[in-house]
Amino acid sequence: MIAYIANTLPFLWEGLLVTLAVSGLVVAISLATGVLSGVGLVYGPWWVRLPIRIYSDILRGTPLLVLIFLIIYGLPLLGIDFGNYGSAVIALAAFKTAHVAEIARGAIQSIHYGQTDAGKAIGLTFPQRLQYVILPQAVRRFLPPWINAVADAVKGSALVSLAGIVDLTLAVQQVIGRTYDPLPMYLLGAAMYFIINYSLSQTSRRLEARFAYIRE
Amino acid sequence: MIPTHPIFLRQLRNKGRVNMSERSGNETRARRDFLKLGGLGLAVGAAAAATLDPHKAAAQAPAQSLLRTVLNRGKLIVGTGSTNAPWHFEDDKGQLTGMDITMARILARGLFDDPTKVEFVKQDPASRIPNITAGKVDIVIQFMTVSPARAQLVAFSRPYYIEGVALLTSTKGKMKTHKELIDAGKNAKASVLQNVDADKLVAKALPNAQVLQLDTQANAIQALDSGRSDAAVIDLSTVGWLVKRNPDKYLDSGYHYDTQIYSAAMRQGDPDWLQWVNTCFNVNMHGHQTDLYDQAFGDFFASKPPRRVPGFPSI
Repeated sequence: MIAYIANTLPFLWEGLLVTLAVSGLVVAISLATGVLSGVGLVYGPWWVRLPIRIYSDILRGTPLLVLIFLIIYGLPLLGIDFGNYGSAVIALAAFKTAHVAEIARGAIQSIHYGQTDAGKAIGLTFPQRLQYVILPQAVRRFLPPWINAVADAVKGSALVSLAGIVDLTLAVQQVIGRTYDPLPMYLLGAAMYFIINYSLSQTSRRLEARFAYIRE
Repeated sequence: MIPTHPIFLRQLRNKGRVNMSERSGNETRARRDFLKLGGLGLAVGAAAAATLDPHKAAAQAPAQSLLRTVLNRGKLIVGTGSTNAPWHFEDDKGQLTGMDITMARILARGLFDDPTKVEFVKQDPASRIPNITAGKVDIVIQFMTVSPARAQLVAFSRPYYIEGVALLTSTKGKMKTHKELIDAGKNAKASVLQNVDADKLVAKALPNAQVLQLDTQANAIQALDSGRSDAAVIDLSTVGWLVKRNPDKYLDSGYHYDTQIYSAAMRQGDPDWLQWVNTCFNVNMHGHQTDLYDQAFGDFFASKPPRRVPGFPSI
């Protein structure tokens, strides 16, 4: 049993790296696009808010798997092909962007308008108000749900295995396909996902403690 | 810190667009506008669905044959899996191997005199037809059962194997033979890979059994291991592979039935490519280049193809 697991570790290692790369890309892209969209949702004029609102509502109401297949199989028919890896990352990031946008919107809106008033009163411009007044306070409320979303992205990345990308999940399936002995492999795979996500939630707790010095 | 006095709140409300009640007004308006746009969304969705329809996609076949494209590219792109022994799986060194892989190497040898000039695109069985219609692969060789329904969507090559079905049982299970499974009636549970007519496939051997459809063959077998099913209805080739490897764990219930034709699948509307693949398979199964095929047949099915007899063509 131990020997069996030890033999399979090199195969899973490659898959683990792919899972981490996909998750990392998705988290980085969706953080940038999501926070921008969130700021747009709060402060933008209607022609900025409306498309983001539509985008966010549609994406959050669509199953991720459908979105992945739509980008992988739908776009090539229109002459656009990002390849399977690119398509999967784009689909996951697009999906996650909608969630991060809502998290950012909620965090910003939870900062009382009095803070903006105070910023205006001392003559701060809009970017300055964001930079020095609103965002530093909003970060605290943004972090916990965002780390949840990151953990969700790591787990959601398992869906790329359906696009034939050898991530941790497909690496597990491949070993099972050879040995027809699934249970130890599923446990090992689950343990790896757990270790990643548990470290994330620990990081989240650290960060929350780090930002807890700010008093309301 | 947060001011709650009614007068203060009213002042805030009068002040501008960012207080809470005003915002929820914006929200509602945004949502209402979104509903107005719902019609547009439907139209876009319908257009996407029309383009995604494999029937229509098959009709948009290229004017130039894929055969030339593949030859110019210098390698063959084959869609296959990596999770099902003995068809397509990774060996202990992580190399793809199996009967499907051999058929791809046979094509590469025919195209480039070099069996290694293949790029394998790993795909889920559910992606076999979409990856063909989306043009992501030149050919799919992934234990694909030929059916008239599928043949409406893709062009199938000549068969390269006739698979059978068998019932794998567990040495620890209550029901070990086909008779015991039949006698159990609807108390017997059978796990099977999701497939065209999977329910009917099980019913042919066990008319009253409950059917459990699963996404991979390994999971169908896992269901047997964990006692969630009494028999795994799987390919005869897999039963042979498993019973030989784990005689203390698995049994062949003794009932073999049903034939399924395995063929490679290509995009429709390209007769040159289809004809070339058929010719190459013929030569490698019946002609003067049967070494790769025979070797794989022995390695993966532990048997030998019948002797080829000169004279009247048996193909």
